[in-house]
Amino acid sequence: MTDRQPSGEELARLQALMAVPLSRRRLLQRAAGLGALAVIAPAAAACGTAASPSPASSPSPTAAPQPSASAGASTPAAPTAQPTPQPKPEAELFVYNYADYIGDTTIADFEAKYGVKVTYDFFDTYDTMTAKIADGHSGYDVTFVTSVDVPGFFKNGLVQPLDLALIPNRANLAAEWANPGYDPDNAHSMPYMWWTTGVAYDSARVSGEPTSWKTLWDPAYKGHLAMLDDYRETFAAALIQLGFSANTVSDTELDAALALLQQQKPLLRTYTADDIGALASGDVWVCHAWAADARQAMAERPTIKYYLPEEGAIRGSDTMVLLAGAQHPIAAQLFIDFMLDASVSAANTNKTGYMGPNEAARTFIDPSILSDPTLNPGEAAIAKLQELLDLGPDLAKYHDRWSKLRAGA
Amino acid sequence: MMRGRLREGALLFPGISWLFVFFAAPLAIIFVVSLGQRDAYGGAVLDKGLSFANYLRALEPSFLPTVANSLKYATATTLLAIGISYPIAYWISRHGGRRKGLLLILVMLPFWTSWVIRTYAWMIILRDNGVLNGVLQATGITHDPLILLNTDFAVVLGMTYGFLPFSILPLYVSIDRVDVSVVAAARDLYSSPGQAFRHVTLPLTMPGVIAASLLTFIPAIGDFVTPDILGGAQTTTIAKVIQSLFLSARDWPFGAALGFLLILATVIGTVSTLRILRAEVIG
Amino acid sequence: MRKGRNIPLTVYALGVYLFLFTPIVVLVLFSFNDSPRNFMWRGFTLEWYPVLFKDARVLGALWISIQVAAIAVAGSTVLGTLLGLGLARLRGGFGGGIADTLILLPMVTPEVVMGISLLLFFALLFDAHGSILQIAISHIAFSISYVTIVVRARAVSLDPRIVEAARDLGSSPLSAFWHVTLPLLMPAVGAGAMIAFALSFDDLIITSFQAGPGSSTLPLYIYSRIRFGVTPEINAISTIIVSVTAVIILVAWRIGAVKPAKPQPTI
Repeated sequence: MTDRQPSGEELARLQALMAVPLSRRRLLQRAAGLGALAVIAPAAAACGTAASPSPASSPSPTAAPQPSASAGASTPAAPTAQPTPQPKPEAELFVYNYADYIGDTTIADFEAKYGVKVTYDFFDTYDTMTAKIADGHSGYDVTFVTSVDVPGFFKNGLVQPLDLALIPNRANLAAEWANPGYDPDNAHSMPYMWWTTGVAYDSARVSGEPTSWKTLWDPAYKGHLAMLDDYRETFAAALIQLGFSANTVSDTELDAALALLQQQKPLLRTYTADDIGALASGDVWVCHAWAADARQAMAERPTIKYYLPEEGAIRGSDTMVLLAGAQHPIAAQLFIDFMLDASVSAANTNKTGYMGPNEAARTFIDPSILSDPTLNPGEAAIAKLQELLDLGPDLAKYHDRWSKLRAGA
Repeated sequence: MMRGRLREGALLFPGISWLFVFFAAPLAIIFVVSLGQRDAYGGAVLDKGLSFANYLRALEPSFLPTVANSLKYATATTLLAIGISYPIAYWISRHGGRRKGLLLILVMLPFWTSWVIRTYAWMIILRDNGVLNGVLQATGITHDPLILLNTDFAVVLGMTYGFLPFSILPLYVSIDRVDVSVVAAARDLYSSPGQAFRHVTLPLTMPGVIAASLLTFIPAIGDFVTPDILGGAQTTTIAKVIQSLFLSARDWPFGAALGFLLILATVIGTVSTLRILRAEVIG
Repeated sequence: MRKGRNIPLTVYALGVYLFLFTPIVVLVLFSFNDSPRNFMWRGFTLEWYPVLFKDARVLGALWISIQVAAIAVAGSTVLGTLLGLGLARLRGGFGGGIADTLILLPMVTPEVVMGISLLLFFALLFDAHGSILQIAISHIAFSISYVTIVVRARAVSLDPRIVEAARDLGSSPLSAFWHVTLPLLMPAVGAGAMIAFALSFDDLIITSFQAGPGSSTLPLYIYSRIRFGVTPEINAISTIIVSVTAVIILVAWRIGAVKPAKPQPTI
């Protein structure tokens, strides 16, 4: 997005959403939404400048340290400090999340604690959610966004800066999550869960102990191999195998990865969104998979094993964000805070098998999850993991090749 | 005659207006999007000039295998659906007696569950360790499990199953319209029941056959969910490509352009087929 | 073939019904499966039914689906019947050709294109961000065509002289429509309504873009759970839907509400 004037970019976005000349009414509405936030935010100055003319001039994530002033320049020192005075949350809250990606009683507990009525909806796919929030006011207050997307979503005015004073449980985060690369000082997002992406296989069907991505290219398992239906992850598997960065924007490197994936395609059974089902049913013997999903597949089929390939693998995370146009910002931020509570966070992990970024929660987490190397790889393994980054307009290079891969014979 | 036209106008007006407002107008918005350029998070950039560049991109040969796949599935599905439906529709109409209504509703009953869950049922049936492989192995027909799920077979089976009521119902309606006494007269006229059927019943029910073919072929061309859930890596269809352009690739302009080309091709194909069939059957 | 039995055809018909019901039987069977993932048979249990009745979310989604379907069926059946009849009377012509194409279009438009176009349309023009009504309006937009095609197929073969006769006997156009045309069209209208119901109750893609906070339909709810596997709870609710529908139909048929298509009077 470097070659474009920010204001032109914003104009284009709005126009795209309206397909009619820019309407002042909507621009005002959005500015008003951000203005409301400015009122509740102690750091009114920081946010206010961002809000008044149009969100286009809001600070870019690289300039993010500004809002963090609102956290009181605190290295998380006073974890239990309640915001004073405790603001009263709105009566309602609209949360939008994946299905089964939260503890069984988490929502009910939050409702009981704050007297807020929560409408909790599932999105069918991440992309549907993205399409819905793209116009800036979907009706939802909080949603769950992959960390890769956080900078871009903020730059495009889809999410608002957080008022860290309302989120004292941020102090519970492990050090590495308190100032992540994708969102310095957690200014616009709070980490929710993290995972690795590697290879899961059925040890009853696969001989030996595979250690490489190459197993997913082994003709011996033709018809029983599957990749994830996720273009960044699938290209990462090929790029890492070739020794390239998973975030490369080099056309030559990407073409090489495409060639490798095209060579693999005839061997594949499917590009799947349901890696648990593919593995647990026995249809797929070697599957590109998310760690926690592999663990869930093991519950059904105990011979399933998971490994992080020796060439390296991917580590990713989901975050909680406050959407632009949120009608219930206080309840939303209290909810995000609630999710970072040690016991709540642990309950979420115990239910889903995904590890949270919450240091304080560790004492409440099921020991079998803590000791599971699938979910908690050692330091050495983590050191070899790459994180997917926001590539801006260069993402199109992946999209085009992905379409070519999927559409080709 | 003028008054007649007016009355027809009054019949057409509400439905046509609805389609104009809630179908054509939204489509016009998307058409504008198809002329723009991609924006990184969905939507489109329109202030950098509008062009038909996306339409040219869509004509790249790399999409040909996908188009061929879609045509293959839709054709196979239509032929199978009509082939399966005609006799059963005929049977309900001629032998259903007092139970016609019930028999017809029984055809629809499986379709009043949810589509997604029906497709899941097919997954349970078709998996390597599924019900069908279990039966085949138990009866000694096969030894090792066959790969059924994620294949062409699964896609055509799922589509045929899914669109069967859409072909049975219109066929029933048109067969039931044929006067039994006309058929009886034909039986006297022609030497065999087969000839009577070919020369009388079939031509008279041709409108139903056309309706059933349209109701099957067209949704089959655009079907995304069946190839998505029952298909596999080798069964990409054009609808699936469009879907992923809009969603995972977030390239709305290109997805819209491809969508419009699909619409155009199907409309031209269908309208000309209709013309030819009408001219032959009715004219 | 008068009143005669055609054994091979009857056997064939039973085969088709078997094919239609096989997935349903599997579905019902697996609602008693003692496995939360439901991939393979692991033994019999009844536990999923109590789980279902305590799950406000599934039941809420079902209720939303029913509301949407009710509006969508009523709307598309009325509009589609009028359209089908009107087009049958036009019998081609320039206007008929345009109308034909307009009716064809929603059927050939890829669902995702239609879904996103409606999302933009409602958001921009009405500032609407998803509701039961918005879903129902979209469902009517794609169901009209199906009803129209089915009704027209019957209306085309309707003898216009019957209506003329009624008019000659002094009926008003409305009364001729109500007492003569509509009853003759009824089997097609019924079939169209059934298709509209199935379409609405099933739709996933278009609905997913029209659903707003608190208005997720049942298919949407189920599809969103695929990522973590479908539990037998979903089979249980499907079983209940099929059973309830079957019972209603049987009762309606017993008391004569579901009548076979009346033989058409010939002139």
